[in-house]
Formats: sequence, C-alpha cells, structure tokens
Amino acid sequence: MITLRINRLPVSVEDGTTLLEAASFLGFPIPTLCHMDGLSSYGACRLCVVEIGEGPEAKLVSSCTYPAEEGLKVRTASSRVLRARKMILELLLASCPQSKTIQDLAAAHGVRQQRFKQEYEDCILCGLCVRMCQEQMMAKAIGFRNRGEKRSIGTPFDIKSDVCRLCGACMYVCPACQLRCTYNEPEKAICGGCENLTPSCIDKERFDDMMCYMDPCVACEIEKE
Amino acid sequence: MPQLSSIDELKELQRMLLDDIHESKPCIVVCAGTACQASGSSDIIRVAKRHIIERRLLDKISLRVTGCHGFCEMGPFILTEPQKAFYVQVTLDDVPRIIEALLSGDYVEDLLYGDPHTGKKYHNRDDIPFFKNQQRAILGLNQKIDPIRIYGYIAQAGYSALEAVLSKESPEWVVKELKRSGLRGRGGAGFPTGLKWELLAKQPNGDGKFLVCNADEGDPGAYMDRSVLEGNPHSIIEGMIIGAYGTGATEGIVYVRNEYPIAIKHLMVALRQAREHGLLGGDILGTGFSFDIKLVRGAGAFVCGEETALIRSIEGKMGEPRQRPPFPIEKGIDGKPTAINNVETWANIPLIFRLGADEFAKIGTKGNSGTKIFSLVGKIKNTGLVEVPMGITIKEIVYDIGGGPVGKAKIKAVQTGGPSGGCIPAERFDLPIDYDSLTEAGSMMGSGGMIVMDENTCMVDIAKYFMNFLKGESCGKCFTCRKGTQRMYEILDDISKGNGTLEQLDLLEELAHVVKDTTMCGLGQTAPNPVLSTLRYFGNEYERHVVDKRCDAFVCRDLVGAPCQAACPLGTEVWRYIALLEKGEYEEAYKVIRASNPFPSACARACDRKCEQRCNLGTSGGEAITIRALKRFVTDRVDPSVYTPMRVVREGKGVPRVAIVGTGPAGLSAAHYLSLLGYKVTLFEVEEEPGGMLISCIPAYRLPQDVVRKEVESLLDENITLRCGTALGRDMTIDDLFTDGFKAVFLAIGADKSWQLDLEGETLEGVYSSMEFLKAFNLRGRELAGGHVGIIGGGNSAVDAARVAIRQENVQSVTLIYRRTCQEMPAYAEEVEAALEEGIKLETLVSPVKIRYIEAALKEGIKVETWVSPVKIYAQNGRLVGIECIRNKLGDVDSSGRRRPVAVPGTEFSISLNTLIVAIGERPDSDCLASMGVDLDKGGKPRVDARTLCTTRQGVFAGGDLVTGPNTVVDAIAAGRKAATVIDRYLRGKELRELPKVTLPEVLIQPAEASDEEPGEAARAEPPTRPAESRKKNFAEVEMTLSAEEATREARRCLRCDLEFTRRENAEGNRVAVRKE
Repeated sequence: MITLRINRLPVSVEDGTTLLEAASFLGFPIPTLCHMDGLSSYGACRLCVVEIGEGPEAKLVSSCTYPAEEGLKVRTASSRVLRARKMILELLLASCPQSKTIQDLAAAHGVRQQRFKQEYEDCILCGLCVRMCQEQMMAKAIGFRNRGEKRSIGTPFDIKSDVCRLCGACMYVCPACQLRCTYNEPEKAICGGCENLTPSCIDKERFDDMMCYMDPCVACEIEKE
Repeated sequence: MPQLSSIDELKELQRMLLDDIHESKPCIVVCAGTACQASGSSDIIRVAKRHIIERRLLDKISLRVTGCHGFCEMGPFILTEPQKAFYVQVTLDDVPRIIEALLSGDYVEDLLYGDPHTGKKYHNRDDIPFFKNQQRAILGLNQKIDPIRIYGYIAQAGYSALEAVLSKESPEWVVKELKRSGLRGRGGAGFPTGLKWELLAKQPNGDGKFLVCNADEGDPGAYMDRSVLEGNPHSIIEGMIIGAYGTGATEGIVYVRNEYPIAIKHLMVALRQAREHGLLGGDILGTGFSFDIKLVRGAGAFVCGEETALIRSIEGKMGEPRQRPPFPIEKGIDGKPTAINNVETWANIPLIFRLGADEFAKIGTKGNSGTKIFSLVGKIKNTGLVEVPMGITIKEIVYDIGGGPVGKAKIKAVQTGGPSGGCIPAERFDLPIDYDSLTEAGSMMGSGGMIVMDENTCMVDIAKYFMNFLKGESCGKCFTCRKGTQRMYEILDDISKGNGTLEQLDLLEELAHVVKDTTMCGLGQTAPNPVLSTLRYFGNEYERHVVDKRCDAFVCRDLVGAPCQAACPLGTEVWRYIALLEKGEYEEAYKVIRASNPFPSACARACDRKCEQRCNLGTSGGEAITIRALKRFVTDRVDPSVYTPMRVVREGKGVPRVAIVGTGPAGLSAAHYLSLLGYKVTLFEVEEEPGGMLISCIPAYRLPQDVVRKEVESLLDENITLRCGTALGRDMTIDDLFTDGFKAVFLAIGADKSWQLDLEGETLEGVYSSMEFLKAFNLRGRELAGGHVGIIGGGNSAVDAARVAIRQENVQSVTLIYRRTCQEMPAYAEEVEAALEEGIKLETLVSPVKIRYIEAALKEGIKVETWVSPVKIYAQNGRLVGIECIRNKLGDVDSSGRRRPVAVPGTEFSISLNTLIVAIGERPDSDCLASMGVDLDKGGKPRVDARTLCTTRQGVFAGGDLVTGPNTVVDAIAAGRKAATVIDRYLRGKELRELPKVTLPEVLIQPAEASDEEPGEAARAEPPTRPAESRKKNFAEVEMTLSAEEATREARRCLRCDLEFTRRENAEGNRVAVRKE
C-alpha cells in the first residue's frame, strides 16, 4: 500500500493506482474529457492536471496517468491548477463550442471569455473512441494519424474498414460530438446556459432599477465581472 | 583480418599501426563532411586522387578523407600534414599546386587562411583564432581519422579505453569512475550520466537491458551529432561497449534519423568492421562478455528525440511520449530497463577512460565538466562546429572564435538549444555556458545549436518561426501542446502582420505559461521558451510591432512594404520615383520626391541614405540601387515650380500663431508644413541667415550653399516671418513668446555645442571645437586652421573639419586622430575614403583597405592616426605647439558591440601641431531651457515624449538634433514635419497621438518591359566625382550627376518590391482559394 496526501488528506491506495483514482476515492472532483473507467489512461486532454511537489519543485501532472507515490503531496484545486484548467477550457471552447460537455465544464469553471479566433471543429483528439474501439470492441478499426496540427483520427488511408462493425461505441463516448449545445447565438462561443441557469426574465437594459428576487443572482455576478 | 581473440592481440595490432604512422609520408587531408561535400569537396578528393596517381606520387604522399573539421564556413578546404597548412575555399585547379607545394615543403600563400581584419596569413592551422580558442577533445579526432577505416581509429589510441576497462577493472569500477568524471548528458537536460548507469546496473538482469544512442538530432541549425557520427563512428561504438560492460546491458541500439545518409553508411561500415574484429558480438576480445549494436532508422519526427517517444518508435509504434514515471531506466523498450544517451555523451566515454576521470573532470568547471560542441550558425563570420570547455562565456564563443558579426549590424542575441531553447540578449553575453546558467537565463543547453542574430533579425519573426516548426512537430497527443502552439503561432502571426493588440500580448504570455505547465513531455514543456524568452528580453520589439506597427529589423513583410520607403524617415515613395524615372517621367518623379520632402536638393546631396542600406538588392547579396544619385539626377533636372503643395486657407483674425526657435531643417520643415495648414509662423534664428547645420556645418564641396539658399528661400512664404540674430535665452524667453500671443512653441535649436577632451590647455589659441571651426568658415569666411592641423575624432564632423581644413590656404598637413580603427569610424564610409584621397595620413595599419588609403594619403599629404588617444596638450607662449598621444590596443567588446580601445602604457608619442580641432561629438546648447520650465536630461536634451514631441511644458514641443543629439538631415526634416502635425492637433484640441498605420505601396506603376540586359547583371552606377587633384584648395562640389542613360539603367535595376503590394488583391484572392481546397 502507498500512502499519500491529497489536499492534505492522507489516503492509502494500492500500488499502481493513479492520482485521479485516489482523488475520486476521497471524493475530490477532477474534470476530465479523455478518461473513462474501463479504458486505459491516455492523458491527452490535460484537464485533469493536479499540482504535486512543493516549492520550486512543484509541477503540474495529469492525474489520470501519474501513479501514486509514497509520501506524495497532491493539490487538486490550487490556484495554479485552476488557472491552467481555465485556459485549457478557453482553448477547448475556441475549438469546439458546439459540445455541450465542454460548454458545461467551461461554465462550471467560470470561463467568461474566449479570446482566440473561433473555430468549429468536431474533434478534440482525446482518443476515447480509439481506445473504445481497440480495448472494448476489440476492433482496432480507427487510430491516430499524422502529428502536430495535422493529427486526426480515422481508418487507415481513409478506406472503409473491414473490421468496423458499425457498433457506434466510438460516437457514444465522444465528448465533442455526442451532446450538442443548442445555444441560441451560434456566433457566441460561450453559452453556459445549462450550468448557469440564467433567469431569462431579466432584461437589465430596460429595467435598470428593477429589484430582483434572486438578488444577487448569477447573471448579475457575471455582468459585474 | 582474423578476429582479435584477446586484449593482447588488440595491443599488438595497435603497436603495428603506430609504427606505420611514425614512418609516414606527407599527407593531404580533405574534409568530406556534409557541409564540405555541399561546397564541393568530393570533386576536390577526386582531382587529388587523380593527380597523385597520374604523377606517380603514391609512395611520396598520402591522401586522407575525413569527417567534419568544424570550420564549415571555409569549405572546401585542404589541410596538409605535417606542415599543418590550412588552405581554404580551394578550387579544383588549386589542388595540384597544393600537392606540389607540400612535396617541396612550401606554402601556397594566396590560398592560406587570412585574418578577415588584417589579412595576415596563418601558416599553421592551430594559430587561427577559430581553432586556437577551442579545446577540441572530441572533434579534434575527426581530422586524424578516415571514418570508414577502423585502423585509423585504432592507430589514434582507439579502443584503448575499452582495453583498459576490460583488462583491469570490474563493472562497478566503470560506473564509479564515470560518476567521478562528472559527465552530464549532452542531449540537453544535463542528467548525470554516471547516475543513469548506476540505476541501470542496479536493475534486475532478467530479460536483458538496453543501451540506446539517441542520434535523432532535429534542431534547426544543429549538426554536431551528425558530424561525430559521420567523422568518428567508432568512438560511439567503443563508448557503448564500455557502457554495456559497466551496466550489464545486452543489446545496444543506435537510433539515427534517416535524413543522415552518410552517418548511417559510416556507422554501418563501422559496426561491420567492429564485428569482424571481434569487438562486438559474443565473447568480446575473449573476455566472455557479449554485446551487439543494431541500427534503427527514425523517420524524421522531431518528437522522437524525446526518450519515451523514441522508445515507442523503436518498438514500432507511433512516436508519442508517455507519462514518466515509470522511467525508461525501469521500463523501457519492450518493458525492459533502458538507458538512453546522446551521441556526444557516448563520444565522451572513451575519452574519459583514456584520460582518467580525474583528468577529465579538470576540463570545464565544477559540476559541468568536459567540453561541449556547439554548432555556431547565423549572422557570424566563422560559422561551423566549435568545441569549448564548459564555463566559457558566450562572448568568447561569439567574438573570439566566431569572429564577431558579418557586416556592420550589431549582434543582439544568440539562440541556444533549438526550438525548445531561448534567446540570450547581448547584454548577457558574459554568461558562462553551462547547464544551470543557461536554464536560469531562460534558455537551455539543448543539444548545442547556437544561432547568432543581429539587428536585422526580428525577434517576433524568430518566435514565429520556431512556433511554426513546433506546431508541426508536436506529436499532438497533449491538447495544450497541439492547440497551444497553434494558438501562439496565430497570435504571433497577427502581431507580425500588424493586427496585434496589447491584450493579445498578455494572452500570449498567459498561454505560454499554461502550455509550459500542463504538457506531458519535454517538447511541450519547453515549446513556449522561444516566446517567453523573446518576450522577456525583447518585449520592446513586440511593443514596436503592436503599438507602432513597425518592424525595425525589416523582416515582417506586412509591416515593411517596400523597404526603401519604410527605411526613409520621411516615408518617401522611393520605388515610385525610381519607376517614374525609368519611364522618363522626370516631373512626376520630382513631384513624388517633393511631396514628402521639402528639401529634395539638399537631401540629394547630404542624406545618409537609409533607403540604400535597406534596399533588397543590397541585403540579398547584390549592390543596392544608388538611390541618392537618382534623386540628385531628378532634382538637378526638374524645376521646383512643377510642384505646388496643397494649402489650407484660413480666414479671419483667429489664426493661431506659432513660434519656431531654430531654422535648421527641423525648424524650417515645421514652419513650412504649419504654413501649408494655414498657421502664421515666426521663425527665430541666432545666426544672420536661416538654414542651420545645412549652411553652417555641411561643407560646400558636399552641399553648395546656393543650393541650400534656393531651397530655403522657396519655403519661406507669406505665412512665415523670419527674425534672424535672435537667441532664445539671450533676447527672449519662452514666457515672452507666450505673452506675445504665440499659442505654441517648437524648439529646434539643434546640437552645436562641442564636447571637450577634458585636457588642460583646451582654451589655448589654436585649439578649436569642430563647430567653432566650421561655422567660422562657412558663415563668416574665416580660415582658422594653419600649418600642421590635427583633428581628434572619427565622426562626420571630424571628417568634415579635416576636409575643410585641407582646403584652407595656410594649411600644410592634416592628421585625423582616432582611438579605434578606420572601419569603426562613425563617419560615412565614402566621406572617410574621400578625405583620405584628398590626403589624410594614417599610421597604424589594421586592414588591407587602409593600406590602399595610405598610398593615396602619402601622395597627397593627409594623415590618419588610428588606435591613438590624446593625453596632453603642449603650449608655448599661450599658443598650441603640439599634443601627446598614447597608442591603444583591442580590449573587451563594449555595449555597442565594438571592442573597447585600451591604452598601452609606455607608447606615448608627440605630434607637433599648429591647429588642433576637437571633434569628439556635440550636444545641445540648451542650458537656458531648464530655467524656462523645460526639463532636461543629463546630456542637455529636453525630456520629450517620442510619439508626440511634447516637452514637460504645456504648448512647448521639441525635435531635431536638440532631442536626438547630432543626427542626420533627413531625421531632422521628419521631426519638423511631425511637429507640424502634432502642433496642428494641439491647436485644434485633438488627441496628440496619431494612431500609427502601416504604409504599404498603393499606386501601381507598370514595370518596364524586360530588356535583353538582365537587371541583376548591371553593376551599381556610382555618381562621378571630381578627381582629387582638381579639388585641392577649392570648394567645388565633389560629387556630380549621373547621365540620363546611366540613371535610366540604374533605375531599371530596381527589383520593384512595391509590385508585391500594388498587385496584391489578385494574389491574395488566389491564396485564399488554395487554402479552401
């Protein structure tokens, strides 16, 4: 057994446990997009970063791939971690605004702006589908191709695969395309409607002096920022 | 050759080979490294072989083909042994001469390497500074070995380290010895190699262990691993065998990129030879120890240099890194323990065991022992591979070994460590080169690329280049690395195109830190370094791009437009008038010049030609267009009245009045443009005549006074009142001006107070400042110089004074005294040259150029003393009789990138003089301003907001030399014009700062029909000059006009950089279409 401290709470786990598993055992929430129980860890989305070590040695690592070590001190929500997650979500929003999963995560982490040029991609290359196909469906029909900005997922040479059974598991696990965000203004990257529950009744432009029964409500807080 | 079955047999073989060497004959050595092959060394080798065979010299001379020697700049070259003569950039015809000279023990003088400064020829290669200042422990072997012959290596004590390791000691001793040597990984991170081996040795030896040589060298501009592999593959093999013995590894792998065909070939040959000789395989040298190496070729992904990605690549999977821990030392290739070291690390191993760990640890500094090879490339004289002990400073590498900058541009930074490294600015060149100092400075050692950058390198562009490289070479697994590098590139691209904002700069930095924090492997964690280090050290360049929309290095195309136009402080559409001139439309051309410049004729003679320095013809290796001579051609031919400026008519009493103090180019330009805007302007001048420096200082042989007078005259219209003989401070104050009803004041009083030497006797009769001397002559016709004249200084006013003095009646000789060399004189080169032609003497000769000068000088009687500083002034009866000087030598490089002159004690000498003119610089005569509410800095310059020309007093503006210190005519005109627009905005109550905008060429002028004569073939047309004989003792203009034919031919050479922009829409339309496909 290995004993480590997560957010100052000691926890003992078996050898080979990842930090993500240890943290969720203690109930600390860590957002992820590329991790799924039953599939191997990959560490592509970087959302699950946590801070380990202390002082100048402190660094961020992806909790889904980092193995628990004896005496390790882990912080799952330090300011450094949150800053990084916020930026990652901003980047994700700039690429895939139509994913409800990403919109909800962004809203939950207080992402209020998106400063990059807007793109509309359908894939964040998290690799869940590739691992699903390989590890659970035993098909290996799809995989990663190329590197850097040209990296993509598909069948070899883009030819219809013989081994694909059209089971649809790849689509089932996809965080980018499975659940669509049905926001009203497609040109606006940040929706966050589902998470923030903004009361639609308030039109602040016209009712400057109106007193809201939800005061202070989320919408006002957002406006103030 | 039968297999060597014991250590003794190897020793015996070595002894035999050594005997052979001792009775060897003269040898010519030719480098066949990749760089030299590219410059033609394979043909040299062929010719040499043929010559040796045809002349039946086989038993008199031998030929050795080797790997890289490092001095790639000078390739192809031939080194002779035992002479050590170093013949550079040889051609095929030179080869027989070199062979014959070697046989007779002579030298071919003209082919020897010569110092670029002094022209001194070096007879022994080891005396050449490039080699002398290095410590070539590893690269030094390359020149002695033919890489495809194992005997060459064995004869150079090769495999003797293996011998020592196998014969005496236990594996534990090997690891201990290595730890004692302090060797750190040469791949860049600097992990102690001994520790790595110890960890590997401790791993259980179940299914075997791996040793890997990482030869996936992919940094742009780095090729040291390649050179070691190509030139000395056996050293890697020997290193790995020793490693295997020490750690118990059973298999070795060299992972080399397939782009290195020669390295692969030489390595395969070497592996085969080693196996044939029983140095690899089972039962090595009869010791029972087995080890073999195989070669794996990488397909060229940069990320495969990262160790976990490299392991996956060797396993046959996609090259992408994985989480560490577990480290490869525990779970590497196929899950077996694996130690990965860089090529250079392996090459160090035989050295350590040959020298002994203690001896090796003495090289370099504590904690950073040994040498490091750098590939020194970029804007530097001696490019090539250099090997230096750790702890040497960057300065030593760049200036002593590298020989300093190529041209006149100052070196501003070096980039180390490839795409993952960072830039180190010139101010930090004292930094010792070791792992820790470089990391602290925001860069890293990396594999050893060192790219030198000068002022013509744009740091935003550099960051953009590396980001472009990384966004393609990131494996793409981590979202932040893949998307982060793309987004950083996107922002940098915006900035370089003039679309950047300050918010984007903040975002760039924030994003860079997040990418650094959240990626998995070394590539991603270091990928933002190019951005972060340039932001840290060159933040001002980013701001220039974002705020002022300027790229001072003239690299970012969309900010520069046509470089001639961008370089001109006035934004003159140079390309346009040259194109019009070529068509014969001289009047139109004149209008273009005059539209942006109120002094076309003066500038056609006295401009410092910033446009020519930036001309794309010149910067791309040819000769720039003679733009000034073309301007002279147009202005000489066209009557100024063809141009009528646009005027704003203002009626009524309320027209604000503006006071302008000083009537130099800045003051007059401001007055002119304000008058065009309808303001009433009063000009105040201290002398009796307007014109400032144009009249009082620039000598008439350069700029005839009637040309200036005519031009000044044409600018003074009914809106402008001129009051000469009025001095600010003496006759009036700024308060007086405001009381008189002036609404704004523009100060343009120039900088005409000379600095003094701070020597006793400067007030003596016969000692003058350059300004005093020039003004006395130009304005009042008084000739102050007589007899033997000495002038101290090397700037334009010193040369002007010298040339005016030699034209004066009673002058016998003129000597220029300067503390550095002629090349470093700040004066315009052509002026110095002209002065020398007219007869200026010179004593210390540093370059061959100056030898030419002295010949001309001796003929005519003027003398230049370089490397000399004055120390004392001799007087007799209150009159100057001479000065004492001291000689200087080269010192350290100072902040201006020039070597500091250092006095040599005991070299004092005296010169007898009748007149001494001190011309060591000028400053503004501005003491009176301080009491008028205008803050001054230490140099006497008013504190001014550079973007608005505002001084600290409301309504008072300043510009020209007063603000910049002594500067050029064209800069002063630009300041005057800017002052006019700012004052206009001020008087109309508008925001003073104009939003900067990029000016790109807009008017399309069809290019000329292509003629038979290719434009590149025509030579630059220099304007004719009056011969030196006929310009003695008179002030006739020296430079003359081009003929119409010459001018047209010259204009036809123009590359027409404007067409890229004026025809742009079409081209861009195409580009978009291409992207959509």
